[in-house]
Amino acid sequence: MGQIFPKWANRVPRRILIALIILSTASVAFVWYFFSPEYTDVGYAPDQPIPYSHKIHAGKLDLDCQYCHTDVFKSKMANVPPTETCMNCHNQIRTDQPTIQQVRDSWEKDEPIEWTRVHHLPDYVYFSHKAHVNVGVGCETCHGRIDRMEVVFQKEPLSMSWCLDCHRNPEKYLRPVEEVTTMGYKVENQIELGRKLVAKHNVHAPEYCQGCHY
Amino acid sequence: MSEEQKNPNYWKSLNELAQNEEYKRYAEREFQENASELNDDVSRRSFLRIMGASIALAGFASCRRPVQKILPYSKQPEDIVHGVPRYYASSQPFQDALTGIVVESREGRPNKIEGNEMHQASRGATSIFGQAELLGLYDPDRSRYPLQNGEQSTYNAFRKFCNDHFSDAGRSIAFISEASSSPTFHRLREQALDRFSDARWVTYEPFGEDNALAGTEIAFGERLRTVNHYGEASVVVALDDDFMNPAANKNSVQNTKDFSAVRRVQSAEDEMIRFYAVESTFTLTGSNADHRLRLKSSEIGPFLYALAARLSGPLEGLASYSGFTGKFTDHEWIEILAEELMNHRGESVLTVGAEHRPELHATVAAINQALGNAGESVTYHRLPYLPEQDNSLSLAALVREMNDGAIDTVVMVGTNPVYTAPADLNFSEAISNVETSIHLSDYVDETSKNATWHVNRAHFLEAWGDGYSFTGTRSVVQPLIRPLFSGVSAIEFLNTVVTGEETGGHDLVRRTWRQYYGTNFQQRWNRVLHDGVDTDGHFPEISTRIDSGFDRAARQFTAEEMDRDGMELVIRPDSTLFDGRYANNGWLQELPDPMTKITWDNVALISKNTADRLSIQQAGLGSVSVDIIRITAGDRQIELPVWIQPGHADDSITITVGYGREGIGRVANGTGVDTYPMRTTDHMLFATGVGVEKTGRHYKIACTQDHHSMEGRSLMRYSTIEAYRQNPDFASYEGSYNAELPGEKYAQEKGQEHPLAMFDPPDYPDHEPQWGMAIDLNACVGCGACTIACQAENNIPVVGKKEVSTGREMHWIRTDRYFEGDVDDPRALHQPVPCMHCELAPCEQVCPVAATTHSDDGMNQMTYNRCIGTRYCLNNCPYKVRRFNFFNYTDEFLTSGSDPEVIQMAMNPDVTVRFRGVMEKCTYCVQRVNRAKINTKVETDGASVRPPDGTVKTACQQVCPAEAITFGDLTDEESTVSKAKRNERNYLLLEELNTRPRTSYLAKLTNPNPKLA
Repeated sequence: MGQIFPKWANRVPRRILIALIILSTASVAFVWYFFSPEYTDVGYAPDQPIPYSHKIHAGKLDLDCQYCHTDVFKSKMANVPPTETCMNCHNQIRTDQPTIQQVRDSWEKDEPIEWTRVHHLPDYVYFSHKAHVNVGVGCETCHGRIDRMEVVFQKEPLSMSWCLDCHRNPEKYLRPVEEVTTMGYKVENQIELGRKLVAKHNVHAPEYCQGCHY
Repeated sequence: MSEEQKNPNYWKSLNELAQNEEYKRYAEREFQENASELNDDVSRRSFLRIMGASIALAGFASCRRPVQKILPYSKQPEDIVHGVPRYYASSQPFQDALTGIVVESREGRPNKIEGNEMHQASRGATSIFGQAELLGLYDPDRSRYPLQNGEQSTYNAFRKFCNDHFSDAGRSIAFISEASSSPTFHRLREQALDRFSDARWVTYEPFGEDNALAGTEIAFGERLRTVNHYGEASVVVALDDDFMNPAANKNSVQNTKDFSAVRRVQSAEDEMIRFYAVESTFTLTGSNADHRLRLKSSEIGPFLYALAARLSGPLEGLASYSGFTGKFTDHEWIEILAEELMNHRGESVLTVGAEHRPELHATVAAINQALGNAGESVTYHRLPYLPEQDNSLSLAALVREMNDGAIDTVVMVGTNPVYTAPADLNFSEAISNVETSIHLSDYVDETSKNATWHVNRAHFLEAWGDGYSFTGTRSVVQPLIRPLFSGVSAIEFLNTVVTGEETGGHDLVRRTWRQYYGTNFQQRWNRVLHDGVDTDGHFPEISTRIDSGFDRAARQFTAEEMDRDGMELVIRPDSTLFDGRYANNGWLQELPDPMTKITWDNVALISKNTADRLSIQQAGLGSVSVDIIRITAGDRQIELPVWIQPGHADDSITITVGYGREGIGRVANGTGVDTYPMRTTDHMLFATGVGVEKTGRHYKIACTQDHHSMEGRSLMRYSTIEAYRQNPDFASYEGSYNAELPGEKYAQEKGQEHPLAMFDPPDYPDHEPQWGMAIDLNACVGCGACTIACQAENNIPVVGKKEVSTGREMHWIRTDRYFEGDVDDPRALHQPVPCMHCELAPCEQVCPVAATTHSDDGMNQMTYNRCIGTRYCLNNCPYKVRRFNFFNYTDEFLTSGSDPEVIQMAMNPDVTVRFRGVMEKCTYCVQRVNRAKINTKVETDGASVRPPDGTVKTACQQVCPAEAITFGDLTDEESTVSKAKRNERNYLLLEELNTRPRTSYLAKLTNPNPKLA
């Protein structure tokens, strides 16, 4: 009786096995990366109704973050400013520009400007700006170099592991409270400074669930 | 659990008492039958199909990032900080009494109602109604526009109509209004009566204060409000008076505060007042009595006269009763009560239920006067706004006029007489004899449907108003939001009727208040708005003297008193729906009745003896099917389900009103039976000689009394104050069982604080506070306000009757009601049970995904986003405090109707709205805790995350009118909760399981009379 399978068939199981290993590793890696907030969320830069440039305002003009986001030290929310804040300057400056016209419309009709939210946490996460900026977590640490962004985009994944990275080792990121709004803040001895700040502010970033989820 | 319990056995239901087969089968099941099955309208297969579709959709949807918009102000009001709630003082009107409230507002929408600590009638607490009004505001079924002959119209059209119609000031007009204490309302009332020469005004409340006022008129010759000061009494005797129940007494919060304050015992030296209750049905108030006598409501009269006759000997001024003899003259209680009242002259309170006849109120007033209580523990006050005539009489007179065609126009302000008026008046027919009828109401209700014009009313959180508290504190009702459905308030409506103009409530109220504040108006007005209280004044107190005509009147009515034999039918307001005005409020419909624990229905309550005589079977367990009976009084009859209430008087049936409404809204429609047809002018409280028969049909009731049963372990501990003084440790484990705590000896030998545990207790970092709670069962009266407050704070859904009947109710804090003693005359005890936050939590050890774990500040945390719904934790919780979202309740609750945004506005943005398949439970209001910790951290410049004692209050603690709940940091030796836990009466639930709960209880005490014991 002749052979049913040709000789090369001996190699088939091994090849299938190798292919399976490669495929499963690849699919895990695929999901790992492409399903993670790092891929899905980072870089999200929705169109805004008004082409407001942080690059000009926060970068070139060097306005402090708190000029507009006034509640950041007082509340869990860093508010989007009312049209009134824009009009402080723009009732005199560049009043003829078409983009400013939308701001003027909002002001005159007393209607809000509909901004699109960029940094978006799930509903079961309660993040408080107040708790973070008051112990020296910089704006830049989570939002990136806003002063260089023509259109604001999400710089960091804002995933739980990313949060926990800092909650477990806050000394890697903390800065003096007066430097919170500084863009491009850098010191050589970050860890040393961070440890001092952790001690100074008594930082015990919660790592238990209810610190953020309730 | 082999040890015999020393304490008497407690039972929740008749089946448990009997320990029958049905009960054993029921109790052994982890879940109630069907609770874990999906056998509802959606069959399992079709449900999976739907689920499959929604998973597929959700799967695709989640690939896209949901786009959210941020809409900042254009012109931002000053002082607004986004994300920080703001608090405004206002007041909650209920009949003609205001309760001070503080309303939490988030980004412009009222979100939670709390009591106002500066207001006498609140002192920081509210009733169940005060809490539930928030849901009432966001009820999408409220009327949204005026109707003219049933057709949609506008308020402007109504104003034009008024201008036209009321230009003839000579029309014969009748106003029917609900009771109101608003000075602006009464100013406009005077204006209306001045302007229209042929106008009459009737104030009609189905459950008002008329009889009490008429009683003081008989006794003192003047209609005066009786205010009982329970806080200044040593002995209280309540005859059929449910004064702690918000549905039976409009000052219930203050009464409960006062009562629990003088019942509070910190140490064995403290004194407690003694409380006697005489009543037909088991009321909330009666369940807090040291001694309770069950007596038919129709026999309260002879009982009271017998007491007066007994007191007429030693006391002056009661001579007219001396000749009275009756059934109760030789009753044991008469002698006991007489002795108690005589021993506490000037510091006792005798009170009788509001619905009882004026003669009884007059007798009570005369006895209080003779005892010297008047002016001391009972005061009488002259109200600035009372009509001279008894309202039920004037309503009857008005109906006669309407039927005669003598009335041209009827203006009804907020009242619903077609539904609530005595049935023999046949108001719906009377209104058809009137050419024009105008009706202001919250819903398009029974009266609106019969009226020419219906005008939609604004909720009190949407409109300006004012008024007096029960005792006379004047406040402003400050709106928190513009009318959601463009309604108008009663004063705006009246103003349009009277003047034909559309003036805002703000102007109307300020116009009234200008007369109080001559100079400095703006400053003093701002102060009122800020504090919520004008002056802490009282209505002028009148020093009373018995009227000259009283003796003759008393002789006459005692002589006319007759024995009423046979079955009686007693009609009462419902504990959760009141007169029906809260029928469309899901929170209240689902709140178990404090005594029967029935939800979503009204029943006829009878005693076990009466049931046996009528061969009515006791109710089953869980999804219970009960007999329907037919009750006949005269030519009226009604059919409704019957329920055996332990402790009910024999030969007496109690029914409650407020149900059986149609066409009101999604919640109210089709729940219960309308019992108003049994209420006639002659039988406002009770009818005697009624007939009862079984119909042979059955009805299913959703009752929670056996849900989460704990099977006769010593969970509820109580003792008498005398026994407590002799044995202060009665509440300990050893004191309750004839055994020592398992494992304690071994632990002592090893020098350990706690018995050995299989699992290591968590480590708590030093910088964190450690939260704990103590519930004083001696203070708790069992009202259920904690349940509603928790529901409002924590976005707890309403699940409906069907779900409740399979044991799926979602309340995070329940109030267990136990009976103790024999079925005819048991004692009732209340125990609120939230999550115990065990340090060695059994739930945590079985969760396969670590969705429930321990936090650094000692809380048992539930992480919704991790939960996969295995329900192992629920199975393993010995306290049965975990709740599972078997269906997508919140989704149904929050997306029903054409504009779901309205109901969504009621949700607390600081708490996750939970989805199907997720476990949930009490969190110790972690959102409040975390907010306080962050605030403390920032305020102390990073030094501490321990909020000072009293800064964090849980929702249940804040609302509690009895101040039974304390919460705080256990590492602070001086915190109130630490002190409470050091009390000898402190005990843990199921301590023998070594779960080490953070929530503990302080055992209840009673103060019985040794002669009656």
